Amino acid sequence: MFKLLQEIARKGDVTAEYPFAPFPVSRNFRGKPEYAPTNCIACAACTIACPANALTMTTDPVAGSRTWMLNIGRCVFCARCEEVCPTGAIALSNRFELAVRSKADLMMTAEFTLTNCRFCRTPFAPTKEVNYVIARLVRQRLPQEEAERRRELYETCPECRRHANVMSRCRTLPAQEAQAA
Amino acid sequence: MMKSTDTHAGTNTVPAPGAISESEQISTLKQTLLKRIRRSAFVFRVDCGGCNGCEIEIFAAITPIFDAERFGIKLVASPRHADVLLYTGAMTRAMRLPGIRAYNAAPDPKIVISYGACGCTGGIFHDLYCVWGGTESIVPVDVYIPGCPPTPAATIYGFAMALGLLDQKLKAHHHTQGTDEEATLTHPHIPLQLRVALEREARRMSGYRQGRILANRFMALLALEDAAPFPERLQRHLDSEGDPRLSEVFGRLNKIVLRRPQW
Repeated sequence: MFKLLQEIARKGDVTAEYPFAPFPVSRNFRGKPEYAPTNCIACAACTIACPANALTMTTDPVAGSRTWMLNIGRCVFCARCEEVCPTGAIALSNRFELAVRSKADLMMTAEFTLTNCRFCRTPFAPTKEVNYVIARLVRQRLPQEEAERRRELYETCPECRRHANVMSRCRTLPAQEAQAA
Repeated sequence: MMKSTDTHAGTNTVPAPGAISESEQISTLKQTLLKRIRRSAFVFRVDCGGCNGCEIEIFAAITPIFDAERFGIKLVASPRHADVLLYTGAMTRAMRLPGIRAYNAAPDPKIVISYGACGCTGGIFHDLYCVWGGTESIVPVDVYIPGCPPTPAATIYGFAMALGLLDQKLKAHHHTQGTDEEATLTHPHIPLQLRVALEREARRMSGYRQGRILANRFMALLALEDAAPFPERLQRHLDSEGDPRLSEVFGRLNKIVLRRPQW
């Protein structure tokens, strides 16, 4: 009996103080995904990577907006979003106190504007994404005027680009054939 | 049929056949329960089709390290003894009726906690053919504890919140794109090809998440405005860290940098 009490005294108190004191999590703990919407370019890489579909994106073609949604209730904290994010806008933090009374509090949303296609005027790509690509190219020593020229290309939807390609080919092809003959 | 936006994002669940909703009288009773329950809450656990990860964490929460029993939280073997019903796992078709039976067997007023990602929304199984969704598709839920699985500390926090001892910390957040809002370029001073090569090697060495973190740390060190030349700076950093794994990864990344003479 005395030995047992001695052993207990030697071991001390192992119980964590939490919730009366903050609980220190390990350095590699994967907690709540912290999202910095100002840094997000709405490229949807995270929504494709997310295995649980906690991250989703919907496009509203009438309003010309794209909404990014994170449902923390569905998140499995795998950090795949953090891996694929090109701008580092989402990263897992060490916050674990996520319990809520209302399910609506589990939703994080962000709304982004879309660029209209120069030809058909349908909204198709987030403005921030197009600007990010051009800024990236300028940083890669692409001349500013060349970058602005390319803006037209990037602000054309894939459908219209394909159409324009076919049309220009139609115009040049007869001339080429005549030359060949 | 296309799912509606709400269901797609998991904000709205379709109630399963026979779903129970809470009456006014019971919600007032629940308030009196919360006043009286503080000393001791008996918990009955209903697994509606989970992977048992949540159960393991619940039992971790009552071990001496976390010791939920010091707050009077005790697991019981029958819903008839329970004040709190803890639903874990996605609500599957087969467990729908046992789930409802457990709810009906528990004496009123009772608190229902939805535990884990699957309990909250159906989680990773939300679009399976046999899954009705989260717990709220059959019974009214008071507190949601997300996590896959929630850690014992998160479990204790959730219980404390359900018993009205702690406040909710997480709030819904909405951001609308402001005018002139632009994303900042990551590591703008490092050529793209070099960046890709560094990130690839770092991920190959230490996994997708750690690899990215280490590559970012290395590139921040590389682009740092400092009087000392880079190899010296790197050595100083590695000496201060004293981690052989980090030295190995950073050493390999440095070799990639050296292969490109412009850096």
